[in-house]
Amino acid sequence: MDNRRDWSDLWKGLRLIISGFLRYPRLVIFSILAALVWMAVTVANPYLQKLVVDNAIEAGQTNLLVPLVLILLLAGLMRAASIAWRRWYAFKLAYRYEIDLRGQIFSTIQRLGFDFYDHSSAGSLMARASTDLTQVRLVYMILPITLANIITVAMVVVMAFVLDPVMGMVAALALPVMVGFAILYARKTTGISFQVQQALAEMSRLAQEGISGIAVTKAFGREEREARRAQQVAADIFSKSMGLARFRSLYLPWYELIPTLITLAALWLGGIRVANGDMTIGDLVAFTQYLVVLAFPIRMTGWFFAELPRCSAAGARIVELLQTTPSIMGPDRPTRLAPGGGEIRFDGVSFAYDGQKVLGDLDLVIPAGSSVALFGATGCGKTTLAHLIPRFYDPQEGTVSIDGMDVRALDMAELRREVAVAFEEPFLFSATVAENIAFGAPDADRSRIVAAARIADAHEFIQSLPDGYDTVVGERGLSLSGGQRQRVALARAIVGNPRILILDDATSAVDAITEAHIHAELIEAMQHRTTIVIAHRTSTLLLADRIIVLEGGRVLAFGEHQQLWDSVPRYRELLAEARPVHP
Amino acid sequence: MYARYGTDDPIPDRLNLLRRAARSARYMAWPAAGAAVAALVSTLSRVAGPLVIREGVDGGIIPQNTSVITTAALVFAGIMVAQYVSTRITLYTVAWMGERFMMDLRTRIYAHVLRMDMAFFGRTKTGVLVSRLTSDIESLQIFASEGALAVVGSTLMVVGVSVALFVVDPFLAGLVMLLMPFLLFASYRFGRDSAKAYRQWRGQIAKVLAALSENISGVREVQANAQEQRQEERFSDIDRVYYQKAMNAAKTVVNYFPRVDVLRAIGLAMVLFIGGNRVLDGEMTLGSLIAFLLYLNWFFEPIVQLANVYNLLQGALAALYKLYGLADEQPAIEEATEPRRLSAPVEGNIDLHQVTFGYDPGEQIITNLDLQIPAGQRVAVVGATGSGKSTLVKLLTRFYDPQAGSITLDGIDLRDLSFADLRRSVALVPQEGFLFEDSLRFNLAFGKEEISDDKLWEACRAAGIAEWVESLPEGLDTLMRERGNRLSSGERQLVALTRALVVNPPIVILDEATSNLDPETENQVETALETLLAGRTSIVVAHRLQTARRADRVLVMEAGQVVEDGSYQDLAGRDGPFADLIRTWETSAGLEGTHRAGLVQGTGIESLGLAVDGDHLAADVAS
Repeated sequence: MDNRRDWSDLWKGLRLIISGFLRYPRLVIFSILAALVWMAVTVANPYLQKLVVDNAIEAGQTNLLVPLVLILLLAGLMRAASIAWRRWYAFKLAYRYEIDLRGQIFSTIQRLGFDFYDHSSAGSLMARASTDLTQVRLVYMILPITLANIITVAMVVVMAFVLDPVMGMVAALALPVMVGFAILYARKTTGISFQVQQALAEMSRLAQEGISGIAVTKAFGREEREARRAQQVAADIFSKSMGLARFRSLYLPWYELIPTLITLAALWLGGIRVANGDMTIGDLVAFTQYLVVLAFPIRMTGWFFAELPRCSAAGARIVELLQTTPSIMGPDRPTRLAPGGGEIRFDGVSFAYDGQKVLGDLDLVIPAGSSVALFGATGCGKTTLAHLIPRFYDPQEGTVSIDGMDVRALDMAELRREVAVAFEEPFLFSATVAENIAFGAPDADRSRIVAAARIADAHEFIQSLPDGYDTVVGERGLSLSGGQRQRVALARAIVGNPRILILDDATSAVDAITEAHIHAELIEAMQHRTTIVIAHRTSTLLLADRIIVLEGGRVLAFGEHQQLWDSVPRYRELLAEARPVHP
Repeated sequence: MYARYGTDDPIPDRLNLLRRAARSARYMAWPAAGAAVAALVSTLSRVAGPLVIREGVDGGIIPQNTSVITTAALVFAGIMVAQYVSTRITLYTVAWMGERFMMDLRTRIYAHVLRMDMAFFGRTKTGVLVSRLTSDIESLQIFASEGALAVVGSTLMVVGVSVALFVVDPFLAGLVMLLMPFLLFASYRFGRDSAKAYRQWRGQIAKVLAALSENISGVREVQANAQEQRQEERFSDIDRVYYQKAMNAAKTVVNYFPRVDVLRAIGLAMVLFIGGNRVLDGEMTLGSLIAFLLYLNWFFEPIVQLANVYNLLQGALAALYKLYGLADEQPAIEEATEPRRLSAPVEGNIDLHQVTFGYDPGEQIITNLDLQIPAGQRVAVVGATGSGKSTLVKLLTRFYDPQAGSITLDGIDLRDLSFADLRRSVALVPQEGFLFEDSLRFNLAFGKEEISDDKLWEACRAAGIAEWVESLPEGLDTLMRERGNRLSSGERQLVALTRALVVNPPIVILDEATSNLDPETENQVETALETLLAGRTSIVVAHRLQTARRADRVLVMEAGQVVEDGSYQDLAGRDGPFADLIRTWETSAGLEGTHRAGLVQGTGIESLGLAVDGDHLAADVAS
């Protein structure tokens, strides 16, 4: 974010950039070669013009004019070809590497565990794959030409000395002024542009918030005040942008003026030298052309060096992300899960979250085919316990096993196929309802999808959607209510016919009547598998035939409701605290 | 109309669009005139440069007259000063105009969006509106800061240089002009093709980012369903298309610039060959040839620049089109032209008379509803999803207007009441406690910004959150981050309740949260709720048993109708829908019991329902 990053970060970003270059050596060599040809022709051009003026026109040699002009034309064509060539390879390199790197970022963040997402915001991850990546791409676009530019500048100075040592001195003196100015300008502009960017980001945040919270704003009649807030931000953008404009209008004209000024000095000094017969008029023409040629490469080089720290800082952030290893990975040689009824066993399981103990030395066996409810006060670890089964988290100590096999020995895909979870706040992708239900089981046909939807009591409402099961939902489609989303998610969990079904308070947003319907259907679906219900409400408790009471990271009691009701006073207390059935 | 974003639709009437933009920027006529004059001076001074050089060469260098050389250099320096000053004025003025226009647009469009009715927000995605206010205005801004000047400057330059070429040597100028059609044709094609290619590229960028963002939001589902591989393949497909689109755009650039270079080389060869011959024949001076060579560079540059900014111009026009489209949408709910102002707070008598409403014309949610709520009454509304409870809330807050019938407050139609008085009279507590990313003070005093800290603390104490606020790191100044993600749902609810309490409205409308609160805050929410509702007219969409029980009156809604109306005791005693509902709450245990008789077999689940019920009866008595 800021311009002054640590050297180590700078180096980290540079290494990423260099490793990208090493990855496509052919493209890099081609684009540098093309840039070098471009450079050679560019430097030759003014010299050829000098030859035309001195050797043909001034000397009155008409016969030389034709070949020289033809050479000049050829040089022009070569320049055109080399520019096309260089650009093409630079674009190819930059975009190729961009999608390459984005693919890596995508694959990395997809595999990072739940623990990672508990601590990072979607916005910053998006920034890695968009703005940061664009910064890195910039280097790929302009590095080849920058290399050629630097050589060009050096060559031009050499040529100036060749033409006339005194004038060469003028060029050599002009160079640091031009370079210094270019870098200064570029650096300053980036700094101010960054402020403008921040102001723009604030506008985006404000708009996002204002529109999401529109109901509150309207309910309290605060539209005008919100509009005033926006006005302030807009005024801030204005003043920052004008700061940039002031700077640009002050310095941008110099970009043109400095070369012209130097040309002027050259013409004056050179003119006198030509008049005195110290140099030829062709030399003077070539020399002024060289000064014109210098302007663009220097400007670009200055810009490159001003951008480089930001680019490598962006690169460093990408590297950091790519180097994050998922805390949970499948074994190299996974064992196949043997057939079984879905018995779950926790042996001495301890789990701490951010150093805070959640589960401590917990032993528990959930028999195959049973349905149990996890129950306890907030923070007792019921969600954590359930999340250990599909390895959303791994315990620090102890083992979790399914049908006698340690979950860590199993293939991740197989494990998560066999253990299905319906989340309390499920996410629907921008796809059809059918595709959303079949998300975990792409091979499921329509009849299976409909059957699952029926169990989740979603069939009816899905049919009433504009395109039924083919209605596109999610961010770029129809918005479903919380309860509808939960029911689709429930169908999604059921459709794959998992061995173990985990319902993470999966019906919290549906009304009591619908919930009762769902429960009635679910009982059927629960017949041939192990079901774990995370219960916040008493109504959910009733879905299970046995209840596990968790307290302080341990199993306080495990049994049928009546049994617990009679013998566990804490259970009665917890029930009283929990939410009753709601209408 | 705004449902598709990321794509640019073709723009029907560009001229009209520009005319409209110019009309709204009429107050900038004088600065615009100033900028035009400055741009003209800047072009003229630039064009004059080579002419001075010609004089220096022909009158100074060739006749070996050093004093003429020095004079020419001094004149040149003077011209440069003029060039610097005029360029600076142009740059600054144009930037000022552009930025000013953008600032006004941002402010106006946002204020306009805020005035739109809730139905508009229902059919328009947040993302679309945000991109109107950000990326669309930004693409206008890019054009304003980089494109607008280039268009003016380059056009002037082309004209100026063309004239200068003819002044220096009409014959050579005529020859160079032969290249013009080719240059214009290549530039036109480039402008057209690259604008299209870049538009497609931007569209694909939007798709890539949308896919990425979706995967981040849904990463738990992806992992839980072991779909990493498949999602990666999908993403890679989208990203590959991105690469193709990017390269298509690159191709237009790669093709165009070399063509210009070839033309430039031909022009240079022509000038040197023919010009050289003319100098040798004595028809032209060497100084003219040099000046001509200098002009030649400037002749190509502005046209190339124009072709380059065509892209920006297209983007800007597309953005302008969308922005004006948004500005043209009229809110369906507006304040009456001569609103009724209240001299004293309303008592709170609500009267619905034959109210009919539906979100879509063909579909009625509420039909001919009659309902009287006397001041001070606490009403609980219950019913299944889709029964019209939430719709009733939206009508009472005038988020929507009924299609037929009327809603009055103390006899005044809601549609006649001024917005300010309506909002002062009716406070809404929505299901989700929405928090603004600002201080807690800002959030609590949202409905009454002028409130003093003392009064605010008083409200906090009344709502029972004073202790909680004190426990926060910076008290009232604590920032509520990222849509209040750091607060639990219960705490958010508490803030929302206190926010309503601060307004001190005669009428409170509350849509109770369905999601779970943690037991620790649940009691606090209960307290705050009691404080808020005490002594006011209130309509509560109830999702909890005790909320219904504490109301003076219960309305049971079904299919947009009030099917039962009475006190809790009355309705519970009747054998109607409400009694059914209570039975569903209390005996959902029994419902499952029948399905699972074989499994459960008299584990006393019925007693669970009773126990819960009994417990709350006790709580009721205690309160």
